[in-house]
Amino acid sequence: MAGRESNIVKIVGIENYEKIRNCKCLLVGAGGIGSELLKDLILMQFGEIHIIDLDTIDLSNLNRQFLFRQKDIKQPKSTTAVKAVSHFSNSKLIPYQGNIMDTNQFPLHWFNQFDIIFNALDNLAARRYVNKIAQFLSLPLLESGTSGFDGYIQPIIPHLTECFDCTKKETPKTFPVCTIRSTPNLPIHCIVWAKNFLFNELFASSITENNQDEQRLEDKQDWGTEDKEEIERIKQETNELHELQKIIYSKDSSKIVNILEKLFIHDIEKLLLIENLWKTREKPTSLTLEHIESSKKIDVSKLKLDQIWSLEEQIAKFINVTEILMNRYSIEKSIEFDKDDEDTLEFVVTAANIRSYIFGISMKSVFDSKQIAGNIIPAIATTNAIIAGLSSIVSLRVLNLLNYANVKKPTDINMAFTSKASNISNQRYLSNPNLSKPNCNCAVCSKVCRGVLEVSTVKLQTSTLGELIELIRTTFKYPNDVSVLDVSGQRLLADFDFDDLLDKTLEDLKLGEGDVLLFTDDEGDEDSNQFRKSLELYIAVVSDKSDDYIKLPSIEVPLIEKIEEAESNDMEEEINIATNANEETIILIDEEEALELDKQSKGKRLEREDSSDKDNIKKIRTTNTIEDDIIELD
Amino acid sequence: MSSGDSNLSADEIALYDRQIRLWGMAAQARMRSAKVLLINLGSIGTEITKNIVLSGIGNLTLLDDHTVTEEDLGSQFFLSKENVGYKRLEVTKDRIQELNPRVNLTYDVGKFKEKDAEYFKQFDLIIGTELSTLETIELNKITRRFNIPLYIAGSNGLFAYIFVDLVQFDAVDEKLKSSVPVEIGRISSNKEVIEVNVRIDEDDSKKIYEKVTTRHHYKTFEDVLQAASLKDKLNRRQLKRLSGAVPLTFAKFNLQNNQACPTSEELRKSMQAISNKFGVPVENIKDEYFEQFANQSGIEFAPVSAVIGGAVAQDVINVFGKRQSPICNFIIFDGITLDMPIYEF
Repeated sequence: MAGRESNIVKIVGIENYEKIRNCKCLLVGAGGIGSELLKDLILMQFGEIHIIDLDTIDLSNLNRQFLFRQKDIKQPKSTTAVKAVSHFSNSKLIPYQGNIMDTNQFPLHWFNQFDIIFNALDNLAARRYVNKIAQFLSLPLLESGTSGFDGYIQPIIPHLTECFDCTKKETPKTFPVCTIRSTPNLPIHCIVWAKNFLFNELFASSITENNQDEQRLEDKQDWGTEDKEEIERIKQETNELHELQKIIYSKDSSKIVNILEKLFIHDIEKLLLIENLWKTREKPTSLTLEHIESSKKIDVSKLKLDQIWSLEEQIAKFINVTEILMNRYSIEKSIEFDKDDEDTLEFVVTAANIRSYIFGISMKSVFDSKQIAGNIIPAIATTNAIIAGLSSIVSLRVLNLLNYANVKKPTDINMAFTSKASNISNQRYLSNPNLSKPNCNCAVCSKVCRGVLEVSTVKLQTSTLGELIELIRTTFKYPNDVSVLDVSGQRLLADFDFDDLLDKTLEDLKLGEGDVLLFTDDEGDEDSNQFRKSLELYIAVVSDKSDDYIKLPSIEVPLIEKIEEAESNDMEEEINIATNANEETIILIDEEEALELDKQSKGKRLEREDSSDKDNIKKIRTTNTIEDDIIELD
Repeated sequence: MSSGDSNLSADEIALYDRQIRLWGMAAQARMRSAKVLLINLGSIGTEITKNIVLSGIGNLTLLDDHTVTEEDLGSQFFLSKENVGYKRLEVTKDRIQELNPRVNLTYDVGKFKEKDAEYFKQFDLIIGTELSTLETIELNKITRRFNIPLYIAGSNGLFAYIFVDLVQFDAVDEKLKSSVPVEIGRISSNKEVIEVNVRIDEDDSKKIYEKVTTRHHYKTFEDVLQAASLKDKLNRRQLKRLSGAVPLTFAKFNLQNNQACPTSEELRKSMQAISNKFGVPVENIKDEYFEQFANQSGIEFAPVSAVIGGAVAQDVINVFGKRQSPICNFIIFDGITLDMPIYEF
C-alpha cells in the first residue's frame, strides 16, 4: 500500500485502520493545543472530526496557533482552522462556533455520537463540564493543558481511571482587604487596587449600584485587621471615591488633578495618621504638588510600553488617559477593564505605579503589568505541539488499536507531563505514570451515581415533580425522605419540610434539556447506618418518542456507609481574588461564592523541586490550566 | 551569531507577546539574529520548521532535494495531493513563509551529500533529520571543525531519538534556593557546576534564588556510538522498565553504516550485540516488540514527529535564548509507553 494511509496501516494494521476511518472525534478547542491536535488527528486519518471554539482570532495567537494568519484576525477560530487544513485533510471536518457548555447548541445526546473526546481547553469551568459529560456518557476523554514550558496529558476512561476532578485543584491566591487598601508591599497589590477597586469605582457602573455592592461586600469580607480605626478609614475612603466619580461625570478634564490629589496625597496623609500601621512597616511617602506640576511638561506620545516610566511620566500618562476615559464614559456609560483595551490598561498601570512609588514598591512596565492585570499565561508553539502529539499518540491505546501493546486494564495506559522543561528531572524529558483508579472520594465520578433521564416534550408538561420523585424512589429504592436539588439552577426543589413544589409540572419548574437533578437520601437506614448513594440525573428531552415517554437510566444505585463530611469551612474569611471562568477579570467575592469557586479555580505556580512522580503530576495538573484564564500569582 | 539590534518593534512585541513573557525581550532579539540550517524537510523537519518559524527565528535555510511521494501526504501537513511528484521545497515554500513573513527563508534543493564543508560554516546552528549513521558522523565532523551546535533527530514509527552536540555549553538556570545549597563541581558524567550566584527577588526579599551556571560537555555522535552503554547505570527496577526502543535504536545505528532499511534478521543480530554492550538482557525485548519495531522501520508518524519536533525546536530556541539547560545529550522516545529518558552517553 502506498498512499497517505500507508504509515498508519503499518502501525495499527489494516483492521484497526478501518476502525480509525470510522471513528468520530470531538475536539473541544481550536486554540494552541486544538490547532495542533486537529493537524495530528487528520494525519492519523481519523474519519470524522468535529471541532468547537467560541473564540475569534487575535494577533497574540499567531506565535503558536499555526493555522491562523494576520488576515484571519477577528475571524472565528473553528471555521478558519477547518479551512486552513483543507489542503492536507482526508477527514470529514465539522466546525462549530459556540460554547461547549451551551446546552441548546450542544445537548447531551449530541455528545453521544462521538467515540472519543479531545479537550484542548483554556479554562477550568469547561474542562470540568466536558469531564462530567464524559462521565454521564462513559466516553473516553483525552484531557490536556499547557502553560509556558509546562504541559500535561491525562487520558480519562470513565469509572475505570481517575477523572479530571479526582485531584483537588488549588484555590486562588487571596489578599486581605487591608493589604490592598492600606498596606501594599508587592506590585500586584497595587495593580489589584487600581483594577478591582479604583477602576471599578470610577468607570464600571453607576453610583447607586456601587453602593449596594460595597455594602454587601463589607458585611462579609475579611478586613485582615481588627483595627476599628483602619476599617472606618477604608469605609470612609470608599464613600469619598463616589465623589470622584462625579468628576468623571462632569467631563471637566481640569479636575483630574483633584483625583490625583485625593488618591495620592490626601488619602495617604490620612493613612499616615493611623500610627499602628507603621510600627513595623515602612511609611508611605505621599505625592507632592510639585510632582504633579512637573509632569505637565512631559510628552506622553513618546513613552514605550516595554519600559518603566519615571514618576512624572506615570502622572502625565495618568492625566492623559483619564481624560480619554472620561470622554468615553459619557458615551459608553460604563467601561469595563479589558487588558486589550489600551486606555483601561494604561489607567490601571499608571495608577498602580504611582501607588507603588508611594509605598516604596518597584514600578512595572505596561508590558509586565498587563500580564498580572490581564491574567495572561505565557504560551508557546513547542509545548502545545508536544502535548497535542502525546494526546494523539495515546488515543491509540485508549481506543486499544495497538495489537502488540494490548491494553489489559485501563490503568496500564500512561499519562504524561513535561518533567525536564518543568525542572522536575534531568533524566527524563517526560514523566509518564500509569493512570490511577478513580478517587473514591471524588464528588464527580465516585460519590454519586449518574445517568440520563429521558423524557418526551409532552411528559415534561404533564408530569409533576411529585410523580417524578415517586418514580425515582421506587425504581432505585430510596426511602421516604429524599431531597431534590436542581444542580444547574442551584435551587432546592423538595425535601422533608419543603413540599410546595410537588404539584408543579417539570415545565412549570423550568426544568428541561441539560438541567441536572440531584437526589439525596436524607433518611438512611437507622439499623445498618447505610444510605442509598446520591443520584445525579441529566434531563434529556426527546422528541421522537410517545407522549407518555419517560425513561430512567438502567443502573443500580447501591447502599453505602454514611461518611461524615470533613469540615471544610474553618478557613479564614478573606477576599478571594479568583478568576471568572469566562471573563478574564479578577473579581472580589465574598466567602460563600469563594467556596463555590474553590471548586473551579486553579492554583499556584509549580513548585520546582524533586519528589515522586505522583506528587509532581498533582502539582502539574493543579498548575496548568492553559492560556488565558488564570491569574498567575507567585 | 551577531548581537544584532536588540530593540524589538511594537509590532514584534505584540505578535510575540505570549512567548516574550516566557523568555524575555533579549532572548527574542537574539533569536532574530540567528542563522539556522535544517537538513531534510520530512515529517520531523516539517514540525521543527513550523515551530522555529513561528517563534521568530531570524534566518532559516532549508536543504532538501526530495520529491513528494504519496506516503508523505500522511505525515507532512505542508503538502497536498497535487504536490506529489514535485520537489518538496518548491511546493511548500509559500506555505512555510505564510507562517511568519518576518522570517528570512532560504530554500536549497541541492543534495546534502554534495555540499562541501565550507557551505556549513555560514550557520549558527544546524539541525539534521532523516540522516543515516554515516551522514550524521560526517556532518558532526564538520560541525565540530567550525564549532557549530548540532541537533540530529529521527524516527522509526512510534519510536524516535534526538542527539545533541553543542560541543561545550554553559547554561544558567535560576531556581528558588533550597535548604541544600548547590555546590561547584561535577554533577554527572557530562555536566559540572562552575558558578553559583544568589539573587534576592526585587519585589519580595524573602524569595532567594540561586543562579547556577552549569557547563555541559558533549561527545560527538561517533564517540556516543562507541561509548554508549547502560552497564552499572541502572538498578534492577530501572532495567526491568527500560524501553526496548533504547537497544533497538542503537542496533539500528550500527546497521545503517550499510543500509537504511535493514532486514529483520540483520536487526536482530545487531540487537544481540548491542544488548551485550549495554548490559541489557536480550530477553528484555519481547519478540512482538522487536517485530513491530522492525516493521515500522522507515515509517514517519505525524504525532511522534510533533513530540520530537517540538522538543528539538524548544531546545534550539533555549540555546539562542539562553534559557533553561539544553538536552545533554541523547533522548529516546517510546510512543507506546510515552517513555522519554535523557541519557548522558
